[in-house]
Amino acid sequence: MKERLEAQRRRITVVILRLSIGLAVFSILVGLALFLARGAVYFPRTPSGRIDQILIYIWSEARALRPSAFMDAGILVILFTPLARLVSGVVANARMRDWLYVVVGLLVVGLVTIGLFTGETGI
Amino acid sequence: MTPLLMVIVVLAGGVLAGVIGALTGLGGGLVIVPLLTLVVHLPLPEAVGVSLLGVIATSIGAAPRFVGTGLSNVRLALVLQVAASSGALLGALVAHNIPTKTLFLIFGLVMLYSAVMSFLPSRHDDAGAPADSPLATRLRLASRYRNDGGWIEYKVQGVAPAFGIMVGAGMLSAMLGIGSGVFKVLAMDKLMRLPFKVSAATSNFMIGITAATSAGYYLSHGEVPPLVAAPVILGVLWGAYLGGHWMKVLPVQQLRRVFAVVLCFVAVDMLLKGLGV
Repeated sequence: MKERLEAQRRRITVVILRLSIGLAVFSILVGLALFLARGAVYFPRTPSGRIDQILIYIWSEARALRPSAFMDAGILVILFTPLARLVSGVVANARMRDWLYVVVGLLVVGLVTIGLFTGETGI
Repeated sequence: MTPLLMVIVVLAGGVLAGVIGALTGLGGGLVIVPLLTLVVHLPLPEAVGVSLLGVIATSIGAAPRFVGTGLSNVRLALVLQVAASSGALLGALVAHNIPTKTLFLIFGLVMLYSAVMSFLPSRHDDAGAPADSPLATRLRLASRYRNDGGWIEYKVQGVAPAFGIMVGAGMLSAMLGIGSGVFKVLAMDKLMRLPFKVSAATSNFMIGITAATSAGYYLSHGEVPPLVAAPVILGVLWGAYLGGHWMKVLPVQQLRRVFAVVLCFVAVDMLLKGLGV
């Protein structure tokens, strides 16, 4: 039982990592292609703000096919990958009833989340 | 510098950082931050924010190699990560409240330390610790890894002092945009007496999470310009892939020494910038 759960945990980790790399590379390449197609002109940086506010901003920029939106999306995929890996680890530990490491994992998830949600409200 | 030229320069810098990281084990931050500050003339907080994303890309790019080998001790990484992420949050706060010149000085000193460590002969304790410390036993940190077809078991010691060093490593990572792998490996190798391969793989897992803790802070403060960060990420992933393939054919030890010499020169440049010369 434990070996089966461990094997499942490894498979999920590899899927998260490969999917993240693929998504980020694709999104950044689309952004760079749009940047070149629009004459390679400078565009303003993403304004400061909490991650949820930045996500809303990216969505509005993506609908206007602005290159920065696709580059920012790739950046966010990379930024959230360690968190996704941590959360999947917490779930795996919970399924194995390893409560000590569920707590330790949640503590780390909490610290990473604080870093993500302490932005200035600049948007 | 035109936007197109800037994208080409940072993409090339990212590839270089990825290749060097894969070949020598020295982090990409030591390449990216000087490139962005000294060549692209980006403000230091933005260079640090971008570099942290490069560090996460390095960690993610290398991670699939370690899955299933047992080399990355996830339980140990989680325990030490509590310290490293706390340090990273603290470091991100501190970095925004101390003069840029001081940061350049610290960066130069960390670069010099990393370069010197590259020249010292590496004597790794393959036997590892003879027994678990009581804390390591309670936390079930002993584990095993796969090597040449068989499994090698190892014990763990020195959890508390290593925990303390991780706070410092996390702070430096967030302040300077580096992975701080050199400090993490040192703590795991010398204090916890882990097998070197386990230290390196566990450190790789940790640098990504540490960087993510503070990169979110920099991003939400508007200090990650997408036109710079996106090519860096692409370059680092590409460079890490190339480096992984070239590892078998290039003289890695000599390359590591050449890179260390280059690091010394760049470190002096950073120190001079810090001193206002």
